Amino acid sequence: MRSALFAFALALFVPCSHAQLVFAAASLKNALDDVAALSPAKPTISYGASSALARQIENGAPAQLFISADLDWMDYLEQRKLLRAGTRRWLLGNKLVLIAPAGSAVKVEIGPGFPLAKLLGDGRLATADPNSVPAGKYTRSALEKFGVWGSVAGRLAPTENVRAALLLVARGEAPLGTVYTTDAAVEPKVRIVAVFPDGSHPAIVYPAALTAAAPASGPAADFFAFLASPAARKVFGKYGFAPLH
Amino acid sequence: MFDTLTPAEIEALRLSLKVAAVSVLASLPLGFGLAWLLARFDFPGKALLDAFIHLPLVLPPVVIGYFLLVLFGRRGPIGAWLEHAFGLVFAFRWTGAALACALMGLPLMVRAIRQSLEAIDRRLESAAATLGAGRWAVLASITIPLSLPGILTGMLLSFARSLGEFGATITFVSNIPGETQTLPLAIYSFTQVPGGDAQAMRLCLLSVILSLAALVLSEVLVRRANRRIVGDAH
Repeated sequence: MRSALFAFALALFVPCSHAQLVFAAASLKNALDDVAALSPAKPTISYGASSALARQIENGAPAQLFISADLDWMDYLEQRKLLRAGTRRWLLGNKLVLIAPAGSAVKVEIGPGFPLAKLLGDGRLATADPNSVPAGKYTRSALEKFGVWGSVAGRLAPTENVRAALLLVARGEAPLGTVYTTDAAVEPKVRIVAVFPDGSHPAIVYPAALTAAAPASGPAADFFAFLASPAARKVFGKYGFAPLH
Repeated sequence: MFDTLTPAEIEALRLSLKVAAVSVLASLPLGFGLAWLLARFDFPGKALLDAFIHLPLVLPPVVIGYFLLVLFGRRGPIGAWLEHAFGLVFAFRWTGAALACALMGLPLMVRAIRQSLEAIDRRLESAAATLGAGRWAVLASITIPLSLPGILTGMLLSFARSLGEFGATITFVSNIPGETQTLPLAIYSFTQVPGGDAQAMRLCLLSVILSLAALVLSEVLVRRANRRIVGDAH
């Protein structure tokens, strides 16, 4: 008994090895977990908002691979020389969709001047924060492009991440919302009303790169390479992501 | 520093003060009632009620926000009924932010008031009753004045807690500038933008100043109230 306690106490103080710690955007969770389970490297993955992860890397977090949902934060790290030069590339693509609660009968085609404000009635459009969260930024550019941003800018329910917007629509608190197609795919309580056409917003891409702390070869680099393998691409595709290379 | 506050920042500040003030005033009757119940009566389930009131203090705020969304949202059982019966809507309104803050501040308020109620010499109330004061007269002339330090402390602690509320608010009523974007939510939004550090830092300082002011004021008021009570007794 005593030796078991001692072993337990010892285990608490033995430092965990994070030789291949991966930081990844929260929206990748389901798919990337499956990919990691297939990979020989079996990395430890920490999920969070791209902004929070980027700030942690800036402050010395021991991440070796960063997969961001947000170009701005990837640029932020690159400008500060916190990425290993020459390793950055596009990993995945995604689509922005307009969703409604599953029971809603709303129908609309997305195009110039489409009647979004009218469809909202006295409700709000659930969307990730258009100033800071990628899904919200894409929503804003698309709505600006179609000339309807002005009519709904005051009618948003901005959330801190895209999954919170998904929740508001799934619970019927918001009659409409914008999320990625991969989010809509994992929530049976919403349905996709329409897909925002490519070109109505900057391409939705997930950049990935080794961090400056990662060696050029090693488990992190191996896992990065594995993400482009046919097996990994198949998993990403299953969740609705478009593998880009 | 303050002459450089942008209109958006002033809006967040104004909204924070409004939400905190309304949440404190609206929860005071309930807070006093609960404190009185806990201080003066023994009943089955008292420990459970006490623990229940303290839940917001220990639960992750996002849990409170989620419960509020499920119960008080427009589709929630309570929210739908309130809207139907009284036209009262919490979802995506500043009133929802005030509700979240009131709930988060309630344990602090109840604790402070309960302690001061328990410290009252019950013989004073008995004496007033013997001299012919009715139940409400005793409450108004003895109990409330004597527990005033606790009431004030409770109100200010709850006010300060409201100024800092983040998780329950953003989960329940999201982050709408001018409607539900209080100071903590505005700060959070700025930290999410590359290069927003300076603005975030300014609002952080503003937060520290406000919260300090609320806590210092609570201390001063308590001292003054204590002095008055002691003065009255002599």
